Amino acid sequence: MNIYLRLVYRNLRANLDRASLFFELIFPLFFIFVQGFGLNGIVPPFEIGNGRVISYSLFLAAGAVTLTVINGGTNAGTQLWFDRKNGMFEQILMGPFTRAQYILSIIFATLIIGVAGSLLVFLFAFPVLGASFNPSLSGVLTIAAALFLGTVFFGAFAIALSVALKSSETFQIVSTFAFFIFLFTSSVFFPATSAPSAIQVASLANPLTYTTDIFRAGLFDAMTPTVSLELGILALEAVVMFAIAVIVFHRIRV
Amino acid sequence: MGVNQLSRLYGDKPAVDRVSFDVERSEVFGFLGPNGAGKTTTIKMLTTLLQPTSGGANVLGFDLKTEGRKIRERIGVVQQQDSFDQGLNVETSLDIYGLIWNVPRTERKTRIEEVIARFGMEEFRKMPTVDLSAGQRRRVQVAREFIHDMDLLFLDEPTVGLDPIVRRALLDYLKERVHKGLTIFFTTHILEEAEYLCDRIAVINQGRIVQIDTPENLKRRFGSARAVEFKLLQGSSEALASALSSSADVTRLVQDSGTGAYRVTTTRPESVIPEIYRLAERHAVTVSSIYIAETTLEDAFIHMVTDDENGRETERGLG
Repeated sequence: MNIYLRLVYRNLRANLDRASLFFELIFPLFFIFVQGFGLNGIVPPFEIGNGRVISYSLFLAAGAVTLTVINGGTNAGTQLWFDRKNGMFEQILMGPFTRAQYILSIIFATLIIGVAGSLLVFLFAFPVLGASFNPSLSGVLTIAAALFLGTVFFGAFAIALSVALKSSETFQIVSTFAFFIFLFTSSVFFPATSAPSAIQVASLANPLTYTTDIFRAGLFDAMTPTVSLELGILALEAVVMFAIAVIVFHRIRV
Repeated sequence: MGVNQLSRLYGDKPAVDRVSFDVERSEVFGFLGPNGAGKTTTIKMLTTLLQPTSGGANVLGFDLKTEGRKIRERIGVVQQQDSFDQGLNVETSLDIYGLIWNVPRTERKTRIEEVIARFGMEEFRKMPTVDLSAGQRRRVQVAREFIHDMDLLFLDEPTVGLDPIVRRALLDYLKERVHKGLTIFFTTHILEEAEYLCDRIAVINQGRIVQIDTPENLKRRFGSARAVEFKLLQGSSEALASALSSSADVTRLVQDSGTGAYRVTTTRPESVIPEIYRLAERHAVTVSSIYIAETTLEDAFIHMVTDDENGRETERGLG
């Protein structure tokens, strides 16, 4: 069996907390069915690009699906912390693996969690909202790219954070705080263009904004010329964050 | 394995200072030293976890600095610290460890059954590793390394937390594996274990190798540190122990908590024995038995380390 498959399988079996996973799925559904339905009556449908007009509940549902990407990212940091706390980090690095293979295996496991979580939320939420889709091939590829790049960014971010911080408790607090900043300066809950100017500026640097915008464009066939630009920026951010994670990870003290 | 002038600095301080030694195939090589002597740092370098600051080594025919991956494919390591997969039970944990080492499924099953039987893990094989006692978890950690193939096994204090029966079973199992061709690099603070298992022993102190020889030779060469054992009719006497400890001829005095016997490490038993009787009379206690004990590896070890530290003190004084 391929070395990555073996390590990813181990990461998924050994380091995933089922209760946390359950709540990571509940969290976006809570937004969709409580906040989405609550605000749907007072927020009129609006255009998201390419002439596509959708209800607020659908707008939020798409944002909440990408929320699982961020949750998946937290998992990457947690996996690394579990291994460091339980002595398995050194044990694996003294085995027939390289550091790059180990860190990539965490990213791949995170991708599986992030994409599978997004799909589950999507499959559960959208039929209930009464939405029907007929996405084009380019739309599906766009969605896949958004989820992939978003998960790589947030997975790498969480890994870098977990290496930099001295305890798992600090990691949990700082990552929760950081992810709330990402969340509320993105276009998950509202279009970035209608936010206060300071948040608009922050949203331009926020990879979750691009993940969400690209996901929505692919899902609702709302492709505009800016989607390609957003994909490029998100890809660049993901590559830079991954490089940072690799550099920080190589300096980890054993 | 050939180690040549291997060093590791932490800041300006050498944790390991130009150590050199060879380990032969199918040899059990003991690496003994006080806490902080550099044993674990040496193991971390030889297992490629830590880069040496200078020097090098050839492990199983591969260069330590450039062929780390090839070395890691053929070694096993039991770290001093705990290591376990918290989300798994014992059996699954062993299975997944074998899987990441790419051991075929049928082979994994056979080996898991073997180590479960050999390490007495039947009764807790289905228990989550997080719920195990420290000794049980240590057993799993040691047993796990025998799921995959290897030519060289690094054991960093593997018997910590194990009861005497399991400890002896482990040492016997290691001997069996050595007869089948395994080479072992072994650290411990329990010197009876080292004496039982090791073909040769290196003593390291403050990062430097002090001596390398067979256990028998070390005892013979450093056996001038003899031991006198005695018992008091009254059980114990703090006043006598305190006075005896401060005697110039006494290197170390310990009391066995079980038997109550005192053990004195000394280079001059002929003067320590009258001193014991003199102190007993002064403190109104009676010596019920006294004899010169056979030199143990522990006595030789203490002598070597004490000599080395005295030598360093003198060097510093001259410097």
